[in-house]
Amino acid sequence: MVAKGQKRKLLEGRGGAWESQLQSVLDISMEKFHRDQALVEPSLLRSVLISNTLRQVQSEVRAQVESLSSVKMPSKPQTHSGLEPDFPSGSPSSTEHNAPLFSLNDENSNTEEDVMAWTSEEDFSLSSAISVILKDLDTVIDAGQGPPRAPLGSVENLTGDARHTQYPPSSSRTERASNVVPSVKSEAACLGCPQDVVLEKLLLDIDTSVFEPEVNLLQGFSVTADDLVKYLPSLSKSPSASSSSSSSSHGQATWEIQEIEHVMDILMRTYPQS
Amino acid sequence: MMAGVGGGNDFQWCFSQVKGATDEDVAEADIISTVEFNYSGELLATGDKGGRVVIFQREQESKNRPLSRGEYNVYSTFQSHEPEFDYLKSLEIEEKINKIRWLPQQNAAHFLLSTNDKTIKLWKISERDKRAEGYNLKDEDGRLRDPFRITSLRVPVLMPMDLMVEASPRRIFANAHTYHINSISVNSDYETYLSADDLRINLWHLEITDRSFNIVDIKPANMEELTEVITAAECHPHQCNVFVYSSSKGTIRLCDMRAGALCDRHSKFFEEPEDPSSRSFFSEIISSISDVKFSHSGRYMMTRDYLSVKVWDLNMENRPVETYQVHEYLRSKLCSLYENDCIFDKFECCWNGSDSAIMTGSYNNFFRMFDRNTRRDITLEASRENSKPRAMLKPRKVCTGGKRKKDEISVDSLDFNKKILHTAWHPKENVIAVAATNNLYIFQDKLN
Repeated sequence: MVAKGQKRKLLEGRGGAWESQLQSVLDISMEKFHRDQALVEPSLLRSVLISNTLRQVQSEVRAQVESLSSVKMPSKPQTHSGLEPDFPSGSPSSTEHNAPLFSLNDENSNTEEDVMAWTSEEDFSLSSAISVILKDLDTVIDAGQGPPRAPLGSVENLTGDARHTQYPPSSSRTERASNVVPSVKSEAACLGCPQDVVLEKLLLDIDTSVFEPEVNLLQGFSVTADDLVKYLPSLSKSPSASSSSSSSSHGQATWEIQEIEHVMDILMRTYPQS
Repeated sequence: MMAGVGGGNDFQWCFSQVKGATDEDVAEADIISTVEFNYSGELLATGDKGGRVVIFQREQESKNRPLSRGEYNVYSTFQSHEPEFDYLKSLEIEEKINKIRWLPQQNAAHFLLSTNDKTIKLWKISERDKRAEGYNLKDEDGRLRDPFRITSLRVPVLMPMDLMVEASPRRIFANAHTYHINSISVNSDYETYLSADDLRINLWHLEITDRSFNIVDIKPANMEELTEVITAAECHPHQCNVFVYSSSKGTIRLCDMRAGALCDRHSKFFEEPEDPSSRSFFSEIISSISDVKFSHSGRYMMTRDYLSVKVWDLNMENRPVETYQVHEYLRSKLCSLYENDCIFDKFECCWNGSDSAIMTGSYNNFFRMFDRNTRRDITLEASRENSKPRAMLKPRKVCTGGKRKKDEISVDSLDFNKKILHTAWHPKENVIAVAATNNLYIFQDKLN
């Protein structure tokens, strides 16, 4: 099948090694980042180097996602102000891999837009996470205080409690994100839906879940009662809500990155080209 | 006895001394954080994580003790910095001595600058070998005498006493740095010095402690835009208006203070173009410059990044004139080194007195020396096993793959906890000081 051949070429061209290194660098960077945030005064040099590495990973992921979508790409819907990606364009160019992995043909332009919108929102949230983090480094107020805002639960647990549980470090987020895999697979297999509809559903699902905390991020103060209880001590010490929003953003950013990675894996594996 | 006359004069380094505890358990406070010879090489200062400064003095070679051969012995020890607490930010300020810089000697006393993350202090180290005896109003033990009991007057006389070396803080330069100080450098005018933190560089007058001039400020208005920090700075050895500072992106900026009060616009910008074939996720981190040092001549400067040392001609900005690989075998291990934080280690580098050789540290208590003329390099080890007096150091070699020869060590066997970050070279002779965690090794060239 043409699609499979293309998929293999993409993986070989990039190398499974490159992907696993991307994943490692991402995991290690996020872990370091969180650890540093827990310190009272993280080293500025270290923080800048780690966040620059994360930006580089972000650009690589973006390049990867762009290479997955079709050739006709809409122009970037939004550029995040204040964080123009400054990284050198050393990442393997997406022009090397023109063929999209799964069929996002014209008839699925809806899905295509979803992918782009989803990517941009992921970019936006990751970018905003990084920028909030850097801003916090400058504030007098303790940046690392307060528990990280709980990321969303996996796709099947979109409501209530799962959202506000305090999550331990990224390894368990990996587990949680990987819980998405069986649910998506089973959804596709059992329902026997046409691939593009399932894909659309999946992406819309993720869209929704990604979108909600962004609202929280932007509003800053819109936290639930549970959160408020947790944050009250830190809020009384620090006048700004930056600690809660920053914790929310980077906790959520981690989840998003993990989720994106795994969903990409799923998409590659579950939806071969017809 | 010329220090390192280039050419065919290969050094033969011999063990001379080692200072510090021999216990396996290393107390954190004893970890040496800076090493510096003074201008004559007679004094050698070390600072440690516990905020202490220990100064060693070289024994005068005398007929009485011909074997001492200019050994360094403890001259003075004092607590330079104490841990502090910033109540406003709820932060503890570490007492670790980041840098020591000597001032040129102008009278009998010695002066040095020592700094921690926030505060720089000027210390005066002076000798006292006489004391006055025969006071009228007080006894020999200092108790006041009853004035009514004094029946006669006498003139106090100076009597010799055992040498006492006193260190006293003469100036305290505080509250000028929001971020962590990484460098201090005395200017060639011997009146001013600069101090650099992650985002700013200040110029001080040695006599004035309540204000300093800010000469470089790279803090962006919006901290979200911060992508680069200052990692090191140094004054030019002869031109008192020139200084350089390096960054976390592998660039060096040379500034001329005559150009303006704020030197945000550089006069020269040194950057080597990146080799696209060796690009990785870690390219930026390993390009971050951990140390910058002018040559004694003032014509060159040397920078240390994670894997290499580069010598730059001040007249050529687009690339270094010499590049020396310190431990290229680590390039394939960068991901692990990122994970265990070793990739953030800040190695220093130094020139010899004649600028013909350079030295820098590595892991496994190895340190490397490069002869600029012959292009020969050598790897040596600072270890207690090679600690017999005047024992010649054997060159070490790291096996990078394939069959490991006898006496070679494989990359995977290297001890990454034993890192040599701080080294110093005597300004005139072939004597080097190498700090290995909590021990200070002194090596001398056999021909010395």
